[in-house]
Amino acid sequence: MLRQDSTKTGSVLVWTVLVIAMLSLIAVETLRLVTAKYQNALQTSTWQEALLAAECGIDLAIVELRKSLYPQPNYAWEGWNNPPGNEVTGYELTTVPNAGLNGTPMTIETNVDAPSQLIDPTNSWQYYRIRTVGTIPITGPARASDNPQDTKLRRLSLHWERFTDGILAPRSLEKPQVSRRIEAIVRPVSAFDQAVMSVGVVDLKNQNIVVDSYDSTDPTKSTNGLYDAAKRQENGDIATDGQLIDAGNAQIHGDVATNAGTVSGAANITGVERTDFYQEPIPIGAPSWADSSTATIDGTTTINAVATQGSVASRYTFSSISLSGNKTLTLAGNPNGSQTYIEIYVTGDISVSTGQIVVQPGVTAKIYFAGNVDITGNGVLNSNNQPGDFMLYGIQPQTTSSEHVNFGGNSQITASIYAPGHDVTVNGGGTNGHVYGSIVGKTVTMTGVSNLHYDERLGSTGVINNYKIVSWFEDNR
Amino acid sequence: MVSAFRRRSLSKTQAGFAITELIVSAAIFSSISLGLLMGFTSLERNYVATSDFSLNHADEMRISDYMAMDLRRAIAVQPAENDTTIFIPAYYDQTGTPQTPALDGQGGVFYGASGSSVRIHYYLMAGTIYRQQDSAPAQPLAVNVQDFVFDVTDAGKVVTTRITFNPTFNSGGASAAATTATAFYNTTLLRNSRTDIQSSVY
Repeated sequence: MLRQDSTKTGSVLVWTVLVIAMLSLIAVETLRLVTAKYQNALQTSTWQEALLAAECGIDLAIVELRKSLYPQPNYAWEGWNNPPGNEVTGYELTTVPNAGLNGTPMTIETNVDAPSQLIDPTNSWQYYRIRTVGTIPITGPARASDNPQDTKLRRLSLHWERFTDGILAPRSLEKPQVSRRIEAIVRPVSAFDQAVMSVGVVDLKNQNIVVDSYDSTDPTKSTNGLYDAAKRQENGDIATDGQLIDAGNAQIHGDVATNAGTVSGAANITGVERTDFYQEPIPIGAPSWADSSTATIDGTTTINAVATQGSVASRYTFSSISLSGNKTLTLAGNPNGSQTYIEIYVTGDISVSTGQIVVQPGVTAKIYFAGNVDITGNGVLNSNNQPGDFMLYGIQPQTTSSEHVNFGGNSQITASIYAPGHDVTVNGGGTNGHVYGSIVGKTVTMTGVSNLHYDERLGSTGVINNYKIVSWFEDNR
Repeated sequence: MVSAFRRRSLSKTQAGFAITELIVSAAIFSSISLGLLMGFTSLERNYVATSDFSLNHADEMRISDYMAMDLRRAIAVQPAENDTTIFIPAYYDQTGTPQTPALDGQGGVFYGASGSSVRIHYYLMAGTIYRQQDSAPAQPLAVNVQDFVFDVTDAGKVVTTRITFNPTFNSGGASAAATTATAFYNTTLLRNSRTDIQSSVY
């Protein structure tokens, strides 16, 4: 009996060992497979997060560039080693704790420079080059993937980091990490990038309003540099930082965009409707060159624009401009019509009724105003017929005051208006109101038969309001 | 005698019992063995299918990530099933060093010569998915993927890639639903202005 029991026990033991061995082999192989898969997924996730870190660097640089557009003190480039310039690289290293996978820190290395090759010769605008490296530590072992193609794609820095100071310069590492590098080029964006831009509501009162575009620099989109209805373009875009555009069934040859808002009366919009718009308007400060003049222009007056390109504009300060009874303010240039520049700062109101502001040929004028603007009739004669040659800039009013800009009464005006702190109204009246240019206001209202023809050339002139990415490249060496 | 009879009698009993026992035990052994064999065969098949699925999924992820990386920096896209071409800026010079861009006069920039680009071709051939950059030797991204299908949907500002394969869990072949269930999607926002269609950067 004892021998029989012993034999049976041995048989069972052998079976048990065999089964356990086979199950263990399966378990080990499964564990190996799962571990490799887990490690691969972890490294892939970390690799993806490193891209987010690198793209954050671009955002950080653009924030500083935007800060630099504000009136002083704007605190731009604080915390950086240098403001960027030609042959000068602005550098910042930001570490965001617990931002990575498993609570690891995210490191964002940002380098910005301004190569001389990236200056637009037509307007001297500087494009900036932003190079960023985003880095996230790998929380697993320093082990490469089984597949060499994974290694080629996701270049993990297991023992050597590829990038140092934003360029390819290897250095040794104590712990494994993932770094990704992006180079982006950003260009300045004009405040006049749309036909109409409003901080708040855009209200187009009726269907007789027409908003379209032309390009005064392109003979296929204009005639002799002037608007030609037969060459109408579809870039008469309207945008708001607010939530409401009442298009009033107006004829809008372009896109409309709100900040997560709605567009009503959209029956005659040729472009698309977007809800992802936001562009913080840069406030205009009082010119630093302003003097304490209290002179008022209320009679026929001529002031001279003598400054040529490359020199400081001819500058004047007045307390107000009030023209009526056929009185004129003439901004006189060279008799031969060559290009000259003038800047005027009006510390109070501008009122033109049955009078006229005359911009002579060749004169490019910028008028800064701190008060209200009321221009009726044909209150502005812009001899160049180019909206880029007559720009009105509204100084940002105190938050407690309410300022306005009104164009009314069958007015025809060729101008660009940037007044993000003013309520802007264009009252077409009669049957033939035309504005050639662009309007930026706190709110924008158009009534009557108003035609707004946006000159696309304005997109590369005027005050810089933002920076926009025009090139993006991931350097995956 | 008694004891001899008892011994014979006991032997006969014991012999008969041994035959029965043998038959029964053989039946039990066969059953258990068959069960184990079937079980292990099933386990092995399942393991192979799981392993295959896992490898294919990793291949999907790699191909998708490769394409997404190139699409992010793309300036033009020519999509087709199992044959997609992406054009990216000529960022590197002949030595592989990044170049300083130049303004194109239209508000954009370009690297290298004006109008130049680097052509990246993704295609499936002979059970391998390749990535070929200009005329350089094609680089295999995934092998033994004859059952893979990669599709690219071009929506202008964004491009979606969809990759599927046939899982091998069922010996009768994968059903359409099972293949669809393996779809790996990736929607990529193209960061650059495209040269092949009207689009703007974000």
